[in-house]
Amino acid sequence: MRALQTAATGMMAQELNVQVISNNIANMRTTGYKRQRAEFQDMLYEHVRRVGAQTSDQGNQIPAGIELGSGVKTVATPRIMTQGTLAQTGKDYDVAIRGEGFFKIQMPDGTYAYTRDGSFELDGQGRLVTAQGSLVQPGITIPQNASGVTISPQGQVSAVLPGSTTSQQIGQFSLTMFVNKAGLQSIGDNLFQETPASGPPQDGTPQADGFGDLQQGNLEQANVEAVSEISDLIAAQRAYEMNSKVISAADQMLQTSSNLMR
Amino acid sequence: MENANLIGLSRLTSLERELGVIANNVANTNTNGFKADGQLFEQFLMPVARDDGFAGADRQMHFVQDRGTWLDMSPGTFQQTGNPLDVAIDGHGFLVVQTANGKEAYTRNGALQINSAGELVTSQGDKVMGDSGPIVFQKSDRDIVINPDGTIQVGDATIANSDSARGKLRVVKFANEAGLQKQGANLFTAPAGVSPGPVDANTHIVQGAVEKSNVQGVLAMTRMVEVTRSYADIAALMQQQDSTRKDAINRLAEVPA
Repeated sequence: MRALQTAATGMMAQELNVQVISNNIANMRTTGYKRQRAEFQDMLYEHVRRVGAQTSDQGNQIPAGIELGSGVKTVATPRIMTQGTLAQTGKDYDVAIRGEGFFKIQMPDGTYAYTRDGSFELDGQGRLVTAQGSLVQPGITIPQNASGVTISPQGQVSAVLPGSTTSQQIGQFSLTMFVNKAGLQSIGDNLFQETPASGPPQDGTPQADGFGDLQQGNLEQANVEAVSEISDLIAAQRAYEMNSKVISAADQMLQTSSNLMR
Repeated sequence: MENANLIGLSRLTSLERELGVIANNVANTNTNGFKADGQLFEQFLMPVARDDGFAGADRQMHFVQDRGTWLDMSPGTFQQTGNPLDVAIDGHGFLVVQTANGKEAYTRNGALQINSAGELVTSQGDKVMGDSGPIVFQKSDRDIVINPDGTIQVGDATIANSDSARGKLRVVKFANEAGLQKQGANLFTAPAGVSPGPVDANTHIVQGAVEKSNVQGVLAMTRMVEVTRSYADIAALMQQQDSTRKDAINRLAEVPA
């Protein structure tokens, strides 16, 4: 019975929907997290009777044919790359991007990853690194005994060095932009990697050529909205329940058929 | 008596197909831009079945045939998502997309993306058509604004403090929307010889919202209850016929000893 398979696809799709929503809710407090959304499509139709086919020599056409669908499938779980709100932390090395762009991080194996999570620290040699210890590009080193580290909205890192009273520039942040941000691949640890779908990375300086500016002492919160996630969860749960009712109706009908013969 | 069985069978098979249609609707309650199907039945005058026990015009037997599925083109609810690339069409109309084999298809699913070449595409990767070809964004474009009439403006970073236009979304309307065919992947195609026309003046595009499925869960559930009960009723009728026949065979063939 076709209805059984169709309802099964519906249940599987809603299961995936709930999984995506629960991942969003689990990461509500993750810095720089971008929420995902499951997108569905209906599947191939069997055209038992074609619309518009001729029924007689006089050219009468069928105004409505018979089309039987085969259920639903998940087509994508794109990330919604909207700006999250900035939260003030007051830490010197916390940076948030207000606008477009990603921080470029060098992974331990030499490849590059991108992130919106700006909660940076210093390693033993004074270099700016992520919480996992990966280097922030293009490489910013804070000299020992430097004080008053400031990061301007244009990404210039300045500090007061020992033996001087004025602030000097010791480094410059660079940001990276992509044509299709939603095409980036997530690898966990708040990091994204480039893919053929995202387009090539375009490096640049903050606040120039469409890049966003940097805000020191702030962190970008997740862009998850609890209310819409919960209402999506309710809709997914009810759709799951309704699909299970279709399965039991089909089951009942099959049982009735099999009981025709005693 | 064979007629009763065959008539009942025609009803059973068409009910099974109707459950298939309802199941497809319920499976797609969360699919953006999905339009529900309904089922139509008609009585089918079976040309070669007759029962001469009846008088005159009642001799012809009527079977049940599912005549067609009809598209319910009523609008679904709009869900605000805040995503700048999500569009919903308020009114009768479809977005035009170009499928992989070059043909035109139409959709109400406005959850759009940008591919690596900067073109505006659906989640399947089909290009969305503007009035003058596909819509292409430049790498430095940001703050995409889609106006209610379909024109697209971006904040061009190469020109300070100014907006650039990136084209106009092509939205079309069909005189007979129910005549469209569903292709899967949230796409509709027009039958041969039918071409769309421009939209009404009060149809406009809403940015930041998607149109959800127009499947009404309550109606689907109640129709499903009717279908299962009808199925059980017809099955009971056929069983009744069967036992009547069995009785007839047993009693009529009894030869008193």
